[in-house]
Amino acid sequence: MSGAVLVVEDDLDLASLIQMILADDGYEVALASDGQQALAQVAQRMPGVILLDMRMPVMNGWEFAREYHARYGSAAAPIVVVTAAENARARAEEIGADGWLEKPFEIDDVVRMVARFVSPADAGAAAP
Amino acid sequence: MTSDPGNAYTGGVSGRARIAMTPLRIVSLYAAVGAAWILFSDRALELFVRDPIRRSALASGKGIGYVVVTAVLLLLLIRSQHAERRDRDREVRTVLDSMPDAVLVVDRSGTIIDLNRAALALFAARDRRELLVPVAELAARVHLRRADGRRLDPARAASRRILGGEALAGLEALMRRLDGREIFISISSSPVQPRPGELPRMAVAVVRDISEVRRFEEMREDFLATAAHEFKTPLAVVKAYAQLMHKRGQGDQAALDVISRQIDRLTRMVHQLLEVARFRVSGAELSRERFDLLALVSEVVDRLRQQSDGRTIIVVLPDTPANVLGDRERIGQVIGSLLENALRFSPQGGDIEAALARHEGEAILSIRDHGLGIPPERQARIFERFYRAHAGTPQDYGGLGIGLGMSREVVTRHGGRMWFESSPGEGSTFFFSLPLAEERG
Repeated sequence: MSGAVLVVEDDLDLASLIQMILADDGYEVALASDGQQALAQVAQRMPGVILLDMRMPVMNGWEFAREYHARYGSAAAPIVVVTAAENARARAEEIGADGWLEKPFEIDDVVRMVARFVSPADAGAAAP
Repeated sequence: MTSDPGNAYTGGVSGRARIAMTPLRIVSLYAAVGAAWILFSDRALELFVRDPIRRSALASGKGIGYVVVTAVLLLLLIRSQHAERRDRDREVRTVLDSMPDAVLVVDRSGTIIDLNRAALALFAARDRRELLVPVAELAARVHLRRADGRRLDPARAASRRILGGEALAGLEALMRRLDGREIFISISSSPVQPRPGELPRMAVAVVRDISEVRRFEEMREDFLATAAHEFKTPLAVVKAYAQLMHKRGQGDQAALDVISRQIDRLTRMVHQLLEVARFRVSGAELSRERFDLLALVSEVVDRLRQQSDGRTIIVVLPDTPANVLGDRERIGQVIGSLLENALRFSPQGGDIEAALARHEGEAILSIRDHGLGIPPERQARIFERFYRAHAGTPQDYGGLGIGLGMSREVVTRHGGRMWFESSPGEGSTFFFSLPLAEERG
C-alpha cells in the first residue's frame, strides 16, 4: 500500500487518530511507532511528508532525522515535527524540519500542514 | 539551685530556711554581723581587759583579724563570681557549638570575630583562625556567588545594611568549601543591638547548608516539568477526537464543543505549570539588556487593550524615557500579568490605571484597578506561589495563582521590589520598582 503521509508516533491512540483525521480528507496514511520502523517504511517507499514525534523508544526523532537526512539527502521528503515541547519551533530547527505542530493541536491545523506538502490525489507521489 | 541563677550564694546557703539571698540581703547581713561584732568585742575589751596597753594591742589584733576575715570572704565571693561567669560562658559556648547551623559574629569593620563549631564544619576549615578574617576575604576565598552564578558582594550588599540596623533573611547562595566541595547555603543575619537607639557594633550571621533541600526541590521541579509534558499527548488525543466527531457530525455537537473548550483550559494550565517549573530549574536565566521601561509599558498596554472588552486602560507616563537594565521579555510578562489580574478581578468594569514614575534612582510602575480588592485576611500570602486570594469565594475566577509569585521573583532578581495596597470593594494597586540604568555603577 502506498502512503503519501508517514506518521511516526509511539502513542497508538494518537497515531490512529491522526490517521483517521487525514484519511477523512482523502489522504493515504502509513504508521510507524519508532524511528527504526520509520526508516524501514521510507526504504520501501518515500512518502510525501513525514509527521514525526520526537520522544519515542528504540530510536527517537532526533536519531531518525540524522539517519534519514544522511541517507536520502536532497531526495528526502519534508518532515513536520509533532511535539509536546514548549518551544516546538526550536525542535523543528534542531533537526532541519520544514514545519511543526504543537500538541494538543486543532485537527484543521494538521490537515492544513499536510496540505502544504501533499494533496490527497497524489497517493504515492513525492512532493515537488 | 533555686530559680535565681544569677545569685552565687543560693547554692551555698545550707540553712533550712530557704530565703532568697539577694545582694542587698547579703550585704545587710554582713553589715549587721560586722556591726554587732564590733560593738560586742569593743564592749568586751572594755569590760574584761584593764590594761590599756594590752587593750590597744588586742584592739589592733581584732581589727586586723576583722580585715582578714573580710578579705577571705571577699576572695570567696570573687572566686565564685568568676566560676559562675566561666560556667555561663561555657554554657553559652556549648549552646552555640551544639547548633546545627553555622554562626558567625561580624564586627563593625566587617571582620569575623567569633564563630561556632558548625561554622568550622560548614567551611571545612581545620582551624578557627582560617575563618577569623574579613567577610569579604572569606567570601572571595569560597567563591561566594548567587544561585545563578552571578557574583555576590557581601561587603557591599549585606554587611552595610545589617550594620545599619536591617536584618537579612534567607539569602541563598553557592559557595565552595575549603575542601573544594560546592554547596548551596542560606544566609540570615541580623544586627546585634546592645541598646535601642544605638548603632549596632556587631552583626550575627547564621549560615545553613541547604544543598539537600535544593536537590529535592530540583527533583520535584523536574518531575513537574516531565509530568506536564506528558499530559499533552492525552490532551491532544481527547481534543482531536472531540473535534473529529464534531467534524463528522457524530454525537452531541454541543457536548463536543464543551469538551474541546475544557481541553483548551486544561492545556493553558499545563502550560502555566511548565512555566513555573522551567523558571526555577533553569535558574532563571535572565538576560541583561538596556531598554526603555516607558516604551515597554506602552507596548504591553496596547496589546492588552484589544482583550479588555472595551475597558479603559489609562496610562500615565513621564515625558522622558526610563532606562533600566534587565530582561525585557520577562518584565513585559510581569506588566502583562499585573494588567491581566487587574482586568480579571474587576468584573464590574471600571478603569485600569497604569502609571510610571521616577523616584530616587528607581522607576516605579503602579497598576490600579477598581475591582474586587483583596480580603485583608488573605493579603499576607498574596505572593505565595499558587496562592489564590479568592479561591473558594463567590469571586473565584479560576486560574492557577502563579502570576504574582513569579512576577515578584523576576522583579527582585532585577534588584527591585513589588508591593501592593488593597481594599475589598474598592480595588487594588500593585507597584513594582526597578533600579534606573543610569544610576548603576
